[in-house]
Amino acid sequence: MVFSAKTSGSDEWKAILSAISTLVEEATFEATAEGISFRGMDPSHVALIDISWPNSAFEKYECDGDIKFGVRIDEFSKLIKRSDKTEAIEISLSDNMLLISIGKNKQYKMRLIESSATDTPLPKIPYDTRISLATGLFDKILGDVQVVSDYLTIKTNATKSEFSGKGDSGEVLISLQKQQDELSEISVKEESIGTYSLEYLNPIVKAVGTASGSIVCEYSSAKPLRIEFKVANMGRIHFYLAPRVES
Amino acid sequence: MSPNAQDIRKSIEQNWKEYLSRYGNLFSSDSISGSSPPSVFVGSYGYPKVGVGPMVPPIHGDTSLLDLPEKWSGKTLEDIVNFRLKLVRGVQNVSVAHPQGRYIESLQELAMSSNTPDSDIVFEKHTSPITTIDGESAPFGPIGEVKTAKFSGMSTNQTIEKTYYDKDLKAEDAVVSLYESGIEISKIQKCFSIGMFGKERKLVPTRWSITATDDIISKSLVAEILDYQTIDSYQVFTHEHLGNIFSVFLFPHRWIFEMEEAWYTEKGEIGFGADAEDANGIDHYPSIAGAYFAAKLGVAEHLKRKQRQAGVLVLREIRPEYAVPVGVWQVREAIRAAMSKIPVLAETIDDGLSLACKHMSISKSEWLTKGTTLKMLKQKSIADYF
Repeated sequence: MVFSAKTSGSDEWKAILSAISTLVEEATFEATAEGISFRGMDPSHVALIDISWPNSAFEKYECDGDIKFGVRIDEFSKLIKRSDKTEAIEISLSDNMLLISIGKNKQYKMRLIESSATDTPLPKIPYDTRISLATGLFDKILGDVQVVSDYLTIKTNATKSEFSGKGDSGEVLISLQKQQDELSEISVKEESIGTYSLEYLNPIVKAVGTASGSIVCEYSSAKPLRIEFKVANMGRIHFYLAPRVES
Repeated sequence: MSPNAQDIRKSIEQNWKEYLSRYGNLFSSDSISGSSPPSVFVGSYGYPKVGVGPMVPPIHGDTSLLDLPEKWSGKTLEDIVNFRLKLVRGVQNVSVAHPQGRYIESLQELAMSSNTPDSDIVFEKHTSPITTIDGESAPFGPIGEVKTAKFSGMSTNQTIEKTYYDKDLKAEDAVVSLYESGIEISKIQKCFSIGMFGKERKLVPTRWSITATDDIISKSLVAEILDYQTIDSYQVFTHEHLGNIFSVFLFPHRWIFEMEEAWYTEKGEIGFGADAEDANGIDHYPSIAGAYFAAKLGVAEHLKRKQRQAGVLVLREIRPEYAVPVGVWQVREAIRAAMSKIPVLAETIDDGLSLACKHMSISKSEWLTKGTTLKMLKQKSIADYF
């Protein structure tokens, strides 16, 4: 079986691994002729990450079968962090080890762990609302809400999105419209309002951070939120987060 | 009418005085001879240099009951305190970092013996008839500084011995594997505290080792439970002993666990403590301390047996009759007793909560406002939308 995947820099791996590390300690990647993918939920099944990394995003990609390999994320991360931004990374498999070549002359071997067999489905939900904004702006909003609340409420109608939070000490409201430096896209089938935990949102946005210039948020009232992080040269990271609802 | 705290304390004191006069020679002597249950104790005072030694009653024969909480169900508070006060605790100051030398090795052998070995302890001077009650560990009687300690006729538990000689086995894995082979938790905990497990061995004060053992075992049980299906009914389990009322409410949900405790202060006011976790585990040392892990263990054992997972709310009301705290084991054993009963079924989560609070003097709304279960239930699961 042939498998090797080479990227021209290390940013993609760093972004992916830090995104996954916010949810799980162990991850099973799947490699096919089409590319590398990962899908997994956090232990409490509140959030799900779905990563699709197409072969076209690699400098060189070879895979002639369907391969699964399991890694401990903290160990893998530690090795990848030994690379400079511009150093090429090439991974391949041999004898239950993951070979990681960094730059011209560094090669690590990392022991693989038993890969989990479970196939996680994706939530099936129609999204009534779709907005797009800069990742940095979204990160700032989360910080603004965090100072008064543990939860972010997003309310969107045809013309604006309101990000709000309420806590024991007070409330916050941030209102954005479709214009430069605010929302680059706003598309609403029905006014939508959803509440999501910052305990999950903050780490993932920080983790992917600067690797992704902008995000697309899609959701419906009291339904999961899906955030798409667009990472240059990589394809996409989808982050799904179940809502908090008053019942 | 049930006796109040004062009556119970008075009667315990009375017993203690009678016991002292009966065994008066014990305290005018600088030695003790008896059969150790077997029992070892590691103090926490002065850490990292702590008092370590055997516990021995002035009784020969099968004394195992004196230090085996797993067998104490149905006993009264007085019975239990009397068991414990019979145990004379020998100490030598030892640094926790290096559990070596003849003294420690003989204690390790004692801890893993499956019988009640004859023990002869000579003290530096007369033992002092004081008692120690810290709430986590069971109480015990007089203390004396050990000059020499001799144990004879020890019969070693082979399973524990194998673990003891495996220096590549992590302490956590040793605890879990002994638990799975059916060794009592109180025994595993003693071996753990006297530095018998792990790659880098050290002594662990008894009160910390109780919490650590419950924590390690319950964590391993919960990791297995997470793969099981959720229960499909609302179940309420209850148990009452030693002036403590327990309710365990199981409801259909991925593993979340909360334990709340309420007690009456000297002024007659009600004090509350609560801690909770989801499948990511608890991220802080619980405010209700060792009781949290002991209860979690009792519930997790049940779910593992049933091969199901559930949302869990444990309520513990501590009545004023609980005059002397006898140790965290009583929480573990009460929860085990509760879970071994047939649960009362409820139709809805609200009915279940009402049933769980029914026998308590604290109202449902008080429990719910002090806890976080309702708040946790607002968080939906992504799997609800598959």
